[in-house]
Amino acid sequence: MSDQKNKITARGVQVHYGTTHALKDVDVDILDHTVTAFIGPSGCGKSTFLRCLNRMNDTVASARIEGEILLDGENIYDRSVDPVQLRAKVGMVFQKPNPFPKSIYENVSYGPKIHGLSSSKAELDEIVESCLRKAALWNEVKDRLDSPGTGLSGGQQQRLCIARAIATSPEVLLMDEPCSALDPIATAQVEELIDELRNQFSVVIVTHSMQQAARVSQRTAFFHLGSLVEYGETGQIFTSPKDPRTESYISGRIG
Amino acid sequence: MEPHIRSAFDRDLEGVQALVMKMGGLVEHALLQAAQALETRDEALAAEVRAGDRAIDELEDLIHTECARIIALRSPTATDLRTVLTVMRIVGSLERSGDYAKNLAKRSLVLSQMRPVNGSAGSISRMARSVVGLLKDALDAYVTRDAKLADDVRRRDAEVDQMYNSVFREFLTHMMEDPRNITPCMHLHFIAKNIERVGDHATGIAEQVIYLVTGIYPDDDRPKGDVTSLTDSATSTI
Repeated sequence: MSDQKNKITARGVQVHYGTTHALKDVDVDILDHTVTAFIGPSGCGKSTFLRCLNRMNDTVASARIEGEILLDGENIYDRSVDPVQLRAKVGMVFQKPNPFPKSIYENVSYGPKIHGLSSSKAELDEIVESCLRKAALWNEVKDRLDSPGTGLSGGQQQRLCIARAIATSPEVLLMDEPCSALDPIATAQVEELIDELRNQFSVVIVTHSMQQAARVSQRTAFFHLGSLVEYGETGQIFTSPKDPRTESYISGRIG
Repeated sequence: MEPHIRSAFDRDLEGVQALVMKMGGLVEHALLQAAQALETRDEALAAEVRAGDRAIDELEDLIHTECARIIALRSPTATDLRTVLTVMRIVGSLERSGDYAKNLAKRSLVLSQMRPVNGSAGSISRMARSVVGLLKDALDAYVTRDAKLADDVRRRDAEVDQMYNSVFREFLTHMMEDPRNITPCMHLHFIAKNIERVGDHATGIAEQVIYLVTGIYPDDDRPKGDVTSLTDSATSTI
């Protein structure tokens, strides 16, 4: 654990939505090449914090963010940082699969194209194939790359969104409940994928499934009422949590 | 700790722990009865203890099945997980202790056919009562989640080890005095060794209690008793 360096360092992060204090003084270190799970009851601030990591909260007019979040030592809220470039480095996959109303091919090629990551059609073809392979979707769609992405099944659409997210070669992948709309088989495929993606990036996943957090992550953070209650090695959190609130939550008690 | 939102989970956990206590009660009873059968040369009582081991084994199977069901259906975590894990380990210790009681009863039947060795059955009985006290306290510590009492049990096991060493020397003396004592003393020695092992199982249960309560296994620094029976002088005397 100690040989892994910090990918993201968050210090004193506070978020207000209007008069609501959504996130209270959160300090978190996200390790490189690690899957970090954020768990906690609805409204605890875990998704809010996830959205701070690629400045998705910038799009919420009432949101006010304090504190600092460093990606490889650089403050992502610095004036000089372009949020669009940041989101190419810090990709995101949402709860509901949301493919573009375009072909499967274009869904994946869109990001590399607008970020100028490929110089030729052949190179773009290569990126599309390798991303679809990484997302464990290639074999199912290789013969119909021109069909619309929205015509795929829910699980395939979510894997398409993952392929799209990794096409810009991000360094961090944020996943907000990526499996909540999927059946167990598709969930298992996505979880297997998450484990493979760890070789290349840091993955941060928000999940309501405690079992999923336990299965896929190496580190788990428990949020409650806008505060980070406990953060540690996943095995420790699920066998011997230190904070009674963590215990109450993960074991299904009234917390 | 507050109850689970799903109350059936609490009922499952309470149910399996009630079975552990029932099993513990049967093992304590079997040990005391077996020691009494030895002391009073009561063959009927010894036979009863031997037959009773079946009920202990059946409880072990039932508890293991129940634990597997809880793991499969409820995916326990944190204290709940440690509860299920410790239940499984504790019943393992209890089952072994039950076997030792059964073995004691079996040997007491053999011994009742031989001439008694002066005072030896009394020493064994005292040792058995002491061990049953440890076992009882370990199980009480389990029920009340009392890590302090569990730690006390770990320390008190050294007393049982000392009792074992002193009966070991006593039997050695009897055997040297009169070779006709050798057969009964060998049986008595196995009995004493087995009772001493029950003490180790009680210590093991106490360690499970500490893990259950704190999430950490205690360091292996508990005081060991006298090591006379392991020294060269003791073996060379034989």
